[in-house]
Parts: sequence; C-alpha cells; structure tokens
Amino acid sequence: MLLGKPMASNRHVVLADADQHDLTKLAEYEAVGGYQALARARALAPDAVIEEVKASKLRGRGGAFFATGMKWGFVPKPDQIPKPHYLVVNADESEPGSFKDNEILSRVPHRFVEGCLITAHAVESKAVFVYVRGEYTGPYEVLVAALEELQDRPEIRGDVSILVHRGAGAYICGEETALLESLEGKRGQPRTKPPFPAVQGLYASPTVVNNVETMATVPPILAMGGEEYAKLGVENSTGTRVVSVSGHVVNGGNYEIENGMSLRSIIDDLGGGVPAGRRLKAVIPGGSSTVILKGDEIDVGYDFDSLTGLGTAMGSAGIVCIDDRTCMVQLGIRVSEFYEHESCGKCTPCREGTRWMTAILRKLEAGDASQSELDLLLSVCDRIIGKCLCPLGDTAAQAVASYVEKFRDEFQAHVDRNGCPFGESSPLHGVLAPVAQGAHQPAAAVPA
Amino acid sequence: MSAPELVTLTIDDVELQVPKGTGLVEAALAAGIEIPVFCYEPRLGPPVGACRMCLCEVQPGPPKPQAACTLTAADGMVVKTAATSELAREAQDATLEFILVNHPLDCPVCDKGGECPLQDLTFRFGPGNTRMTFPKRTFEKPIPISPAIALDRERCILCYRCTRFSEGVAEDGLLVARNRGAHSVIATFEDEPYRAPFSGNVIELCPVGALTSTQYRFEARPWEIQNVPSVCGLCPVGCNITATTREGKVKRILSRNHPELDEGWLCDKGRFGFSHLYASDRVRDPLRQLGKRRFEALSWDDALDEAERLLRSGPVLLALSGSETVEQAEALSRLVRQGLRSDAVVFPEQASPAIDAFRAPLSAIRDADLVVVIGDEPVEERAPVVGLWIKAARRKGAEIVTVGVSGSIAVSPGTAAEAVRSQLADRIRGAKQAVLIWSGPGGAGGETVAGLARELGASAAFFLPATPNGRAVVEAWKAGTEDEPERPDQFGCLLISGDEAANDPGVRSLAERADAVIAITMFADPLRGWVDLVLPGTSYLERDGTMVNLEGRRQRLRRTVIPPSPDELAWIAKLAERFGVEIDPHARAVSAEERAPLPARVEHAEAPTKPAPPAQPTARGGPLRLLRYRPLFSGPAVERVEELQFQRPEPAITLSAHDAQVRGISPGDEVVVRSNGTSVRLRAHVDRNLVDGAVRAAEEHVRQLEGAVEVSTS
Repeated sequence: MLLGKPMASNRHVVLADADQHDLTKLAEYEAVGGYQALARARALAPDAVIEEVKASKLRGRGGAFFATGMKWGFVPKPDQIPKPHYLVVNADESEPGSFKDNEILSRVPHRFVEGCLITAHAVESKAVFVYVRGEYTGPYEVLVAALEELQDRPEIRGDVSILVHRGAGAYICGEETALLESLEGKRGQPRTKPPFPAVQGLYASPTVVNNVETMATVPPILAMGGEEYAKLGVENSTGTRVVSVSGHVVNGGNYEIENGMSLRSIIDDLGGGVPAGRRLKAVIPGGSSTVILKGDEIDVGYDFDSLTGLGTAMGSAGIVCIDDRTCMVQLGIRVSEFYEHESCGKCTPCREGTRWMTAILRKLEAGDASQSELDLLLSVCDRIIGKCLCPLGDTAAQAVASYVEKFRDEFQAHVDRNGCPFGESSPLHGVLAPVAQGAHQPAAAVPA
Repeated sequence: MSAPELVTLTIDDVELQVPKGTGLVEAALAAGIEIPVFCYEPRLGPPVGACRMCLCEVQPGPPKPQAACTLTAADGMVVKTAATSELAREAQDATLEFILVNHPLDCPVCDKGGECPLQDLTFRFGPGNTRMTFPKRTFEKPIPISPAIALDRERCILCYRCTRFSEGVAEDGLLVARNRGAHSVIATFEDEPYRAPFSGNVIELCPVGALTSTQYRFEARPWEIQNVPSVCGLCPVGCNITATTREGKVKRILSRNHPELDEGWLCDKGRFGFSHLYASDRVRDPLRQLGKRRFEALSWDDALDEAERLLRSGPVLLALSGSETVEQAEALSRLVRQGLRSDAVVFPEQASPAIDAFRAPLSAIRDADLVVVIGDEPVEERAPVVGLWIKAARRKGAEIVTVGVSGSIAVSPGTAAEAVRSQLADRIRGAKQAVLIWSGPGGAGGETVAGLARELGASAAFFLPATPNGRAVVEAWKAGTEDEPERPDQFGCLLISGDEAANDPGVRSLAERADAVIAITMFADPLRGWVDLVLPGTSYLERDGTMVNLEGRRQRLRRTVIPPSPDELAWIAKLAERFGVEIDPHARAVSAEERAPLPARVEHAEAPTKPAPPAQPTARGGPLRLLRYRPLFSGPAVERVEELQFQRPEPAITLSAHDAQVRGISPGDEVVVRSNGTSVRLRAHVDRNLVDGAVRAAEEHVRQLEGAVEVSTS
C-alpha cells in the first residue's frame, strides 16, 4: 500500500512529509513541526479550539460526514454534567474497499496521536480510547510503539491517558454506539439514539467518537488555521481526503486528494485506470455500503454534494473499480453475504432481510430464480431500507438494490437464460475483501 | 408533589394530553390505540428498539418510520400508526414478514398458541401468504436451558427480553445471546443450566413460544384453562399470582403485577413450587399410626373421634408453622384456648408491632438513596423479591450497605445493630430517604430495626420474617378468644399445625416428650414412626383466607383448586363443636380488591430496645459459631418438586478465608463438621467477606449439630 506519486492536483495534509520522512519516529515527526499544533491548541481555551475546527468546516471522515466542530460543541461542559468526558477513536476500519485508516496509523501515528490530544483538550477529556480493528496487527504495533515513545515525554502527553483496545472481528463495532457497547465489554450491538454519545456515550458519560483520519486532520488544521484549511477542497467538502483505490485498476492504493477532484481523474490518473483492453463497468465510490455508479457516471467531483447528487456517497472513501468481465449478481452475492455475516442480529429487518437477500441472489446466480423473485429481491430491499436500528441494514439493501436497478438487464439475463452469463470467468478476486463464509475463525484472525 | 407537565400530541388524528415523558406506546393506549410491540417492556429498563414492530410515522422527525417504543410524548408531536399511515403500515407489515420468514409457524403444537402475541399480531395484521421460497433456519430443539425451562430457538424472534431480564433485572447475567446476525441464539454460558432464583420469569416475558415451562409443556390449551388470581404463600413477600387450572388441577403459576409489591416478578419457588400439591406422599385421608412405620386411613368420623380422644388425653400444646391463614390460626386458637382451656403454644417466630410505625410499600426501596441491609442472612433466601428491589435501587444510583457476618461492613454474629449505630448513623441521618432492612435471625420480630429507624431518622424499615404469615398467626392466636386460660406446666398431647412445624427439629424434640402427637400436614412420609394421628392439611393454593405480608398488607388467598380432603377450617369447626366451641367453617374474605392496598402507618407504645450482647471472640483453630440459614429452595414444598431440585444448595459449609487457611482447607474440599459427638461431611466454601469465627450452612444440612462446631479436613 504505497502512496501514489505526488500530483499537481493533490495536496498532502494528513500524510504530509510521510514520503520523505519516517514519521513513525517521534524525533522525525518533531523535526517536521510535530506536536507544535498541540502546543498551540493548549495555549487556547477549549472553546477556541472548537471554533478553529468549526472554521475549517472539517466533516467526519468515518463515513457520516458530520461536522466535527459541531459534534464537539454538543458535548456538555464538565460543570453541566459532572462525569468524566471521553474521547473514543474509531479505528475499527472494516468497510470492504476502505483501508485508509490502516495507512494513516501505519505511517503518521504521531500526527494521529497529536490530533487525539488536541481533541481531548477541546472536549476536556482526560481519557482517550482507541478502538483498533483486531485484524490490524501492523497499525496496532506502530501505534503502540508511538505511544511508548511518549512515555518519557510528559509535556506532550499531559494528564491524558490513551488506551488502545483491539476489536474482535465485528464490522458492526465500527458503528459508534456498538463500538461503545463493545468497549464496555458488552455484546457489540448498536444502541438506540437518542441519547446521543455526546451526552451519554461510554459508561453513560459525555463522549466524542471520531474517526482516525478526522483525528489526523486536526493537527494540520491547528497548524495552518481553520480558515486556511477551509480553502482546500470545495464548498461543503473542505480539505483533503485519503481515498483507497482498489479493484480492477493498475495502481491500487491510498491517495490523499483534495476533495472535489474528479472521480475519473482519481481512477485514471492516480489509479492508472482499468488494465488495458478492458472497460470500466462500474465503480463503488465509498466502500461496499454505497450505491454503485455505472462506468459512465464517473465524471463527477469526489465530494459530498456531487456524489449525493448522484444518489450515492463518499462513505469511507473506498473506491472499488469493476471491469466488464464482472458479473453483478456475483458482486451482489459477495456484498450481501458480507452484510448477512456481519449483521449483529439485534433488529429484525437487517437480521432476517440480509439473509433473505443473499438467498434470492444465490438462486438468481444458480439460474433457479423466477421473474417474480427478481422483483421480490427489490421488495425485500425496500422493506429493509429505512426500517433498521442502525445504518448497516439500510446501506446493505441500498447497495444491492442499486446493482439491480443499474444493471437490470444483467439480472434479467440470469432469469432468462436460467443461469449466469459469466459463470466462472467473472474475476471477483481482487474486488472487495474476500469473505470466508463459514470459515471465519476469529482466533486465527486476531493473533494474541 | 407538583403536577406533572402535560403535553399535547396527536395520535391517529386523536388529540390528547399526557404527562411529558410518557412513552408513545402508553400514550397511544390512553387514546385507545394499539401500537404493536414485541421487544418493548418498560420493566426491563430503557427501550431497545430491536424488533421494529412498533414503527410509526412521527413528526417532527426524519422522513422514515420511527420506533415508537423508543420515543416519548412531546408537545405538538403528530404520530400516525398503521391505522392511518401507509408508511407505518408498510413498515409493520415488513417487520412481521421478516419475523415470520424463519418462524416455524408450529402454533398447533406450541404451548404459546392461543395466548401468543406473535400469533395474535400475525392473525390480525400479517400476510396471508409467504413469499419466501427457501428452507427455514433450523436448530436443535427443544433445548433444556434448565430442568424447568425449555428453549426452542426456531420459534425465537430475538426480542432480547429474556437476556435483558437476566442482565438488567435479576442481574444474574446467565442468559446471553450467542453468535451474530441470523445465527444469533439465546444460550447460557457453556450450556450450563440457568440456575438463578428468578429464572422462570423469562418464560412469561417471552412473546412467543421459545421459552416454555417444562412443567406446563403440552399440559393445557388456553381455551380450556381457568386463571384464578391469588397470592403466593411460600414466603413473607406474598407475591400476587395467577394460578392456571385445568380440570381441577393447578397447571402453572403466573405472576400478577402488583406495582408496589412485586412489579410482576415471581421467584422460581413461587412459580414452580405448586406441584407439591401432587406429591406422592400427599395426605388425602386422615391417617392413624399402625405399627412402627405404617399408617392406616380412617374415615372422617373415626378421625374426629380419635382426635377428640387424643386431645382429651392430657394438656395440649400447639405448634404453629406461620404458614396458616389468619382464619386458620383463629380457629386453632379458639379450639385450643377456649375449647381445651390451654394457652400452651409454640410460635414459629417472634413478632413485634413496632415495625408498623415505619411501614412502606416494598417499592419504597427502589426510590431510596440509601439502603442498609442489617443481619446475617442473604435477603434473597428470606424474601427474594426484596433482593430485586434492592438491585433496582442500586441501578437508580442508591448506595447499598450490608451489615452482617458477610456484609460490606462485616461484623460478628449478633452485633449488626450496634455496628449500624456506630458506623452508619451519620450516613443514615444525612440521606434523603434511607431504608433499613432486617434480614436474619434475632431482631426481636422487627423491634430492633424499628428502634434503629426511629433513632437514626430512616424513612422506612422492613423486617424480613422467616415464615410467610408468622406475625399474623401470632396475633390471630392472641385475638382468637378473649379467654385467658392457664398455661399448663406440662403437656400430654402435641398438636402440630403445618408441615414446616412438623419438620422443625425443635418441634420434633417436643414430640418425644408428648404422650400423643397429632399433625395437620400435607405430607405423610416425614411423620412415620412418631405421629399418632395425621389430619390432612391444605396448601395456600387450596385455601380461602387472609395472609399478611411483611409490609403489613392484608391479602386475600383464593381457593384455586379443591383440595383432596376437606380443608382445615371445615373439620376444625366440626372438631371444635365437640368441645362446645362454635367456629365459622368459611373464611371471611378481607379484601376483595384485585391489588390489596397497604394500611397506614401505626405507632405502637414503644418498647425500649436492648442492644444485643456482643459475640464472644473465638480462639484460633477452636470451635466456630455455626450460623444456620433456611435456603429459599428448601422446605417441604420444594423438596417435592422435581424441577426445583437443581436449585437446592449442595451440602456445604462456608468459612472465612482466614478460618479456612488456618485449618488447611481449600474451597471445594470435603470437610468434617463436628459438635457434641456427632458429625457431618460437607463441601467447604470460602467467603472472603465472611467474618472470622463464624461458619454458615443451610439448616437442612446441619440438623443434628449444635451451636459451636469444629471443622477439619478429616
């Protein structure tokens, strides 16, 4: 996973200097100005830090794109709720197609830690919990090493303790309230909201939950100033974004781009386009839970408003390219199986609906499905969407429904021909992380 | 108290006012509108919004259906249920369809059929046909999660009511959800039995036929049963119950929510204990001893002749159990005091009216900010529901302090009251609402805890008696007649009322001194060889009458089934006639109300409270003071219920960590417990909280031992 070559159109903020220096080392990070933003932040009152972040118009990089400064502002002051305040960082990056947080933790751990310390100051928290995806052994070790380096630097750490917790292999624990449940030692299932975590989060105390990339963006904002940061990117999507490009492209990997860069440019110029002789059939723009785009829909800015205009989203910035050899029913099975497997089982539509979706898709692929079952698939999706407790079921159904709607002819062909027109030739390997259904062994996936 | 703020909202075009904070499900109900639910159950804590059955259109709010159970009424809110909103109707249809996709629909062979919320909602709103064309999910079934409860995972709709009860109400944490997504199942850890005093409540909480009672499985259908409201008579709480009967037999016991008393929770003893009615040694006819170990059945005429003969044979001593109704105790009092001119009686326990001055509903415990439990016995063993109220108080933020031999303040046996005075006086005085609870022997029938409450300014006090109706029985005895007969110096005939008295070692030793013994009991086996005449007793489920619970609440027992023989009042009246005493053979019901109210507090003339003498310190390795307790799962009824055997404690003795260590005893060792030349072998338990010098064992395991014991590994 190497960063692409610097391009005229991209500007490095989160990953700045990481190509030139080994920023996993405290000394090298300090040599490029590391932890000076923290010093600047600590010289400010907490509210002033929040104002700076509000001025940057930074929006959360986890997927929901909620305004970060506003989220911090929702946290009651310690004199309003006299309980500990917590900062919880969501490093449970599990969205198929997204692997940006992996790279950020692996390459700029100190920038991430600095962001955590600044945020802790802003929301007046003395305890930071970093919930790291269990399978991310590499980033975990880098992060722990970085924290060890800070052991001897009390002036940096201050009176804030940072605790790293490893997940045990559940996609749902990337949902913030399920993450909090898991962190409390309970079964990882989402809570109903309200109450929101800002008021009743971890241990029923005021809690801010932020994504890794959001944290790593905070120090540069404090360093350059919020208004300066807001000049990057486009309206409603200021700044930069680390995107993960994967699937049928020549140069897959993470690229830091300015928001608003054309999706075609990301795929063709940064990713090198689809391998020669093939045609781009479809693009999943923001991780497997987002609505798919057809290959001719990529002349669009990679930013919140532009993608919302096409009915999809930046999500967690996992851009998955799919070429013309790929069967969309098989893609549907892969995605649906994933969500069926990862559904937590708490709410009915997601638990039963994702399983039903997979069953119909398998019948379609096997050539056993009737015409009515194609409509049934859309009906099942429709009965999941908007009925679930958390976004998992909703987005799974939206994604699969979009495959049917945008590639209806191909689904129809499975019915008409009583089988798959692509068969074994459809190259799904390399598209989305493989899900080993039934062979899932958490013990093997999370080394002790 | 100020009037709650009212808000105005609209539900299905009906405008209504409800107190702010009212849940939408309750608000709709107030307007006569049903919002269907499965997972919603306010007694289990905050709503979870899991099943999605209650989806409604709510404005203001996002443009998608909202889980009404998670929302509370607010001013200007407009709610549309499935009755008026296409969006809500489609959402509820979707939920029902998803729930039914993998539900086996085996209603014809399901115990829940006919009283099943899922069946009802499916019948009313559900699809007439299925669109699902692949095999349903199957599981092994039924799985006995305990000898009392069977689990059918195929029927389970994963509403998580049972696991929420286990985690958030009973706090036993034994029932959990395992696996994820469509493979989620309800389970116990390591498939160990669900062994906890309140386990049976999950059967009633289950909105489908997934958790069923092994006692009730395939026993009855809802259209052929009668449900009779009554009160449990197995402990001093007196939880309100409903007895389900079919063809004159009790088939199951359900809770009947009294919000001040039990909140609808029932312990397993109360729920599963009823089958003692059908024990093989149940006394169905009067029995006369014949030879050493045998009884012969007598006709009632012969039995009354024989009883009269024995009662006239010498001065009579009466031993009471404390499980009699008020009416029974009065009848016995008139027979013995007025008819037989004897005032000799053995009461089950000491009783004092002093506690009436601090009377409160049990729900007051939940609303306290400080709860002090005083005494040497765990609350759950004496009055289990009280333990749930204490847990509820802790969840609400109250401070719970226990003072006793294994309390958070650990003190020597018998010194708890003094420790409260010396260590907790300021905290009790400083609390907004302090509740004191006496749980254990001593305590002078509640006088000690009442004295502490008065002295330290507690807002309420409870005394947990050892018997279900002990105090009322004592008072009924005294009130039964105005005569003041002599108390004879010796007695010739011992009259034993109830199985508990008949099984009491003290009563048993009195019997050895008697010329004749008459017992009024339900069970014959323990009486062989020492009782001359057995007259059939009845269970609390077979009697009309009155019981007064530990709060002082007078509650009505209803006869749920006809006993196999005439009940006590009927034949005591006949017997009393022979001694010239007229007794009403029918109980006069005291309270016709569905939920008995609590009488007002009563101040009685105060008796000075004597501080208990401090216990003598024990020497190292020397004798230990044996504290006996009566486990919840013990006694004549429990012994005869197959499904409760696994709940009974193993024969064990509990030592403090220090006492175990100096004797070289490890937890789990088999040890010999000796006193006065007798000994028993018991398993050693170690309780780190237990004070040194004391050991604790269940009464039934140390019957033959005396007050001080030696414990050793061999």
